[in-house]
Amino acid sequence: MSDVRNKAAFDAAARASNYEWGFTTDIEQDFAPKGLSEETVRFISAKKGEPEWMLDWRLKAYRHWLTMTPPDWAKLDVPPIDYQDAYYYAEPKAKKALGSLDEVDPEILKVYEKLGIPIEEQKVLAGVEGARKVAVDAVFDSVSVATTFRAELEKAGVIFRSISEAIRDYPELVRKWLGKVVPMHDNYFAALNCAVFSDGTFVYIPEGVRCPMELSTYFRINAENTGQFERTLIVADKGSHVSYLEGCTAPMRDENQLHAAVVELVALDDAEIKYSTVQNWYPGDAEGRGGIYNFVTKRALCQGRNSKVSWTQVETGSAITWKYPSCVLAGENSVGEFYSVAVTNNRQQADTGTKMIHLGKGSRSTIVSKGISAGRSDNTYRGLVRVAPTAEGARNFTQCDSLLLGDRCGAHTVPYIEVKNPSAQIEHEATTSKISDDQLFYAMSRGLDQEASVALIVNGFAKEVLQQLPMEFAVEAQKLLGISLEGSVG
Amino acid sequence: MSVLTLPSTREEAWRWSDLSGLEALSAAHATGVAADLDSHWIGDGPRLLFVDGRLDAGRSRPGPVTVGTVDAASTHPLARLAGGDGWTLAVHKDGATPPGAIEIVHVATGGASHVPARIVMAEDAQASIVETYVGDGWANRLTRIELGRSARLMRAIRLVQGSGFTSLRDEAVLGAGASLVTTILGAGAGGSRLDAFVTLDGAGAYAEHGGALLARDSQRHDAAVVVRHAEPEGTSRQLWRAVADDQATTSMAARVEVARDAQKTDGEQSLRGLMLKRTATVNLKPELEIFADDVKCAHGATVGELDAQALFYMTSRGITPDRARALLTQAFIADALSRIGDEPVRDAFQAAAEAWLEERI
Repeated sequence: MSDVRNKAAFDAAARASNYEWGFTTDIEQDFAPKGLSEETVRFISAKKGEPEWMLDWRLKAYRHWLTMTPPDWAKLDVPPIDYQDAYYYAEPKAKKALGSLDEVDPEILKVYEKLGIPIEEQKVLAGVEGARKVAVDAVFDSVSVATTFRAELEKAGVIFRSISEAIRDYPELVRKWLGKVVPMHDNYFAALNCAVFSDGTFVYIPEGVRCPMELSTYFRINAENTGQFERTLIVADKGSHVSYLEGCTAPMRDENQLHAAVVELVALDDAEIKYSTVQNWYPGDAEGRGGIYNFVTKRALCQGRNSKVSWTQVETGSAITWKYPSCVLAGENSVGEFYSVAVTNNRQQADTGTKMIHLGKGSRSTIVSKGISAGRSDNTYRGLVRVAPTAEGARNFTQCDSLLLGDRCGAHTVPYIEVKNPSAQIEHEATTSKISDDQLFYAMSRGLDQEASVALIVNGFAKEVLQQLPMEFAVEAQKLLGISLEGSVG
Repeated sequence: MSVLTLPSTREEAWRWSDLSGLEALSAAHATGVAADLDSHWIGDGPRLLFVDGRLDAGRSRPGPVTVGTVDAASTHPLARLAGGDGWTLAVHKDGATPPGAIEIVHVATGGASHVPARIVMAEDAQASIVETYVGDGWANRLTRIELGRSARLMRAIRLVQGSGFTSLRDEAVLGAGASLVTTILGAGAGGSRLDAFVTLDGAGAYAEHGGALLARDSQRHDAAVVVRHAEPEGTSRQLWRAVADDQATTSMAARVEVARDAQKTDGEQSLRGLMLKRTATVNLKPELEIFADDVKCAHGATVGELDAQALFYMTSRGITPDRARALLTQAFIADALSRIGDEPVRDAFQAAAEAWLEERI
């Protein structure tokens, strides 16, 4: 009976896992030689025309990386990675400095079409009149090819560039903040990223500016065997506000691909950054072959008073996810938030969570994590809440819920709580459940069929997180959760 | 003794531990002189006195406990040092130990002692054991516990060392319907590492593992407990209360593992930390690892200080602030100690906790 009952959920999960968005596009690539060495690092730096200090920084990171070992504390089974068997740089030979959208490589436009995510960005790229303004900085295999709305943003004083452009155009600003939040020696994958990052995004919001549109980046991993090492740096100056969306899909390939991105956020006094991610990389097939390794370091520094950073993530893809978007709450009364839905199916493994480091007086943090495991997957929440002696009156609320669909998957919760200030209020709650008979019975007694009931319950389970997403992302996220739920969200 | 190889804090299971003092404690020499110990005996049942890991036969009456080579080995980094002579308690089917508890007092007079123990209980057997750790050295213990169908074992462990370190490792396997209740009180001035791995290996087994840890000065208590549900319908409770004063650190890492087949598991963790000074540290890690889909697992964790309103209320009734704090702290740990079923034992443990609080005043 319970098999029948859960069938709808399984089907939905299977649809999500069947990866409707898999395809490849052929564009000429200019490759760095295969393998990783100081030469590769120099090649990338030279290719980007970077200043001396950047090259030094990369080389230092590379040398440090050589002395490090990959982390093994996560509940993940990571096959050995041959770092010499990958290309570290691939640039599409597209036209430079696009004047208008018409000049965008039709292949790339086709990719967006195939993404099948007809959200506002699509309309923008298609040039639809009256489309909601969303700035898209498309990362197509390592190099930004299209950056739209730059002029309008610059009118507001917002700098929205690929990071290599920013290094060229705003070297002082980038130098001031790059590596400040995630230092090069932070961890194995961050060090690797520092050495070989090919491109990424730089955003600077000047004092008192509310960014006039949502900023968005699509990440694509396209060339076979090309590791992607993105670097994102967002600096929100005093009293500014920005909402940043990051969405990812990738073509279906039978090779494992490593993705080791670094995202750094800095919020000064009264600034607010909202960072939303929908991640739908290729998770491998039902037997666990292929799939992306997503080893990402994301960290925010709430440096200013009353600053706020909010991470929202919907993680449905990748074969292995190792990701802990964190907040260092240094400013007085600073606020950190983490909302996460992680779905694993088949042989996927996810070890994800957050770190909230309370340093400032009256800093507050909220953690809401929803894990959904199906198939033979493993889904782990791993989180740290640390209260330093200086964090007088710090508060944290943590809620971790896990939903198990089937009896061959695993759900794990590993919260760390380290408190050095007695005035802190720390609360942690966690539950693990399956879809209860009562819930299902109630929904079905109201006339819903089983599939719709399960869909409703699963969506309800994740709702607290989904409603944190900007509207167009919420729609996509629901699709990715594999549940058809018509109508109202939020 | 050979050079110690101790786990480092870089290892995940030991990140909150401080084993740096063990080297020196191992090198120190035991005086072998145990002071007056009469106050540590609670009842008139069988009693064993171990001085630096060796039985003091003159002051013991082992009853059903035998002392000699123990068949127990462990791969645990500390417990693997415990080999050779120790004590064994075997209770036959439907058997029971004499009324009252079997009491074991471990005195360390300096240096290190490594003692293994084994408790084997057949079907429907029952026993109650109280262990007390006093003295100044490093007491390192391994206890292997095997409970047959529906066997019941109550253990109460009291750490009241004047200094030094106590490291305990329990490895327990419970048969169907068996019950193991372990309560630990840390109320001494020594450091501790309290490790346990309890496997519920039969349907409907019941395990409880918890206690109260009180730490002051630069003392460290560190508990790391894993309860593994291998079979269906098991129930487990982990209830810990930790108090940290001065620069002390108390850490509690409690894990519930639910295996694929262990449906209908009911696991509960309640970890609460109380900080009496802002220089103190409380670390908590309530961990769940779940592979079955029809289970009930809940954990709660909180850290905080004493309720200011309650303190104000009590002082407004003429109770001195120190006394009020002691009373509220006592109430905070009461949950944990109330799990001890044997009344005289519970009273003795409560008295030890009160003594710790009195010292503070």
